[in-house]
Amino acid sequence: MKVETHKVARLHALLWGIFSLGGMIAAFLLPVMIYMTAIAYPFGLWPFSSPSGCLYCPTRDPSFLVTGHLLGALFIFVTIAGSLYHGIFRFQTTLTELGLLKYRRALEAVGYFIIFVGIIVLGYYLVAWYLNGTIA
Amino acid sequence: MSQDVATIRVTRYRPEKDSKPFFQEYKVPYRHDMVVLDALNYIKAEIDGSLTYRWSCRMGVCGSCGANIDGEPKLTCASFLHDFKGRTITIEPMTHFPVIKDLVVDMEDFMEKLVKIKPWIIRDKETPPEQGEYKQSAQELERYSQFSSCINCMLCYAACPIYGLNEKFLGPAATALAYRYIEDSRDQGKDVRFPIVHEMEGVWECTLVGECSVVCPKGVDPMLAIQKTKILGATNALKSLLMPRGGH
Amino acid sequence: MGDAKRYPELRRRLSYRWWTANRHYTMYMVREWTSLFVALYSLMFIYGLSLWATGSRADFLNFLKNPAIIGFSLIAFVFTMYHAATWFYLLGAVVPVKIGRSRTKPWQALVLNIILLIIISFLAIWLVVLR
Repeated sequence: MKVETHKVARLHALLWGIFSLGGMIAAFLLPVMIYMTAIAYPFGLWPFSSPSGCLYCPTRDPSFLVTGHLLGALFIFVTIAGSLYHGIFRFQTTLTELGLLKYRRALEAVGYFIIFVGIIVLGYYLVAWYLNGTIA
Repeated sequence: MSQDVATIRVTRYRPEKDSKPFFQEYKVPYRHDMVVLDALNYIKAEIDGSLTYRWSCRMGVCGSCGANIDGEPKLTCASFLHDFKGRTITIEPMTHFPVIKDLVVDMEDFMEKLVKIKPWIIRDKETPPEQGEYKQSAQELERYSQFSSCINCMLCYAACPIYGLNEKFLGPAATALAYRYIEDSRDQGKDVRFPIVHEMEGVWECTLVGECSVVCPKGVDPMLAIQKTKILGATNALKSLLMPRGGH
Repeated sequence: MGDAKRYPELRRRLSYRWWTANRHYTMYMVREWTSLFVALYSLMFIYGLSLWATGSRADFLNFLKNPAIIGFSLIAFVFTMYHAATWFYLLGAVVPVKIGRSRTKPWQALVLNIILLIIISFLAIWLVVLR
């Protein structure tokens, strides 16, 4: 039994490690990601500004983030997967602090399900792009 | 010296009579140099001998006089009455702990946790005193010295909502003390202590509210100790995952 | 020791509104709720990609131009920046960097990391979009 609890503790430690890595990613990479997709692109700001008056500027949009080159896809994967893990893990804990402690196991199950499905779907799209040259 | 009068509202709970706690108000004349503990002593001596609370050293060393003063966990011996001038001072037993009587809380849970982390130096082999002390450099001392200042006043537990929600949580002071020995170069008990602090209800429960470090009267930073312990746990787990057969 | 307790102890339950008790707790709760927006933005982006996968690239781009999505993302942006700032500050409190003989203070870590964030952001745009 002692070994078992030790294994659970180790799993917990690893999950916490991923969680803090996700926090790092959400802090350092997510702002620029949201800037590009929700501010620069819809409002036509740099680096997605329209090329009028600028001969050399390429016309690009956020789809280029995904299918531009491998580094872009990698950036999307790391940023979105890391942020998703961090956000869900943390929010699920916050709910336990607001009175749902007795539903902790259920919350964890739902949380990890969302994380798992989200990351698989994201990874599938990006790999599909890499293999087919298009996203599906 | 001029005398002011403080209005003090104290939680009363007399288990032999009351099913619920209630507040009782007292007027206490005070001088500039008097603290909340002096006011409690004045009440007990002059007004109401049945008021019950813990105290001993009255100088911030023994850690027995903690209470919630206006909602904040504080040592009553380190809180001046003149800081509350013109207001009613509310004194309640420390949050989260079961109350035995009035301001006296049950410390059993904390005492168990304290023993659990084995707060002493563990050696693989004890050497007899004749062979001298286990030596340590100033830098090695610096790594843990702040965590050894803990006086077990439990204010950090009273400030920790995570402990309030789940009393199985090992909590701030016990982890800080565990970390104090983990970081001590003379200690060789990591293999014993790590499983204790890294179990489910150990450090992983902490969500970095940070209030423990705010209320500590001795400048200990339990939040830091807990985070450092988490980082050690995660790196150890990663190491054992990558090198299952490798050394420690 | 060992003797049975004669009288019942008073057990108090923490109210689930504990985070309103003082300003630190409230700020903590705000900090933790930023995680909801971080998670929702990520899910939203994955949903946008699924529109592309089941439809066309234009569906994905129109999704990003949807005012509701822009509005939500802007809120998410503010919360993400708040997450970043609190994260940087705590990073300074937990792993202070030694510069010379002194250790960095949390607010110094905040400033240094914000500079780092700006550099990383430009680098990311350059690597992912402009190159």
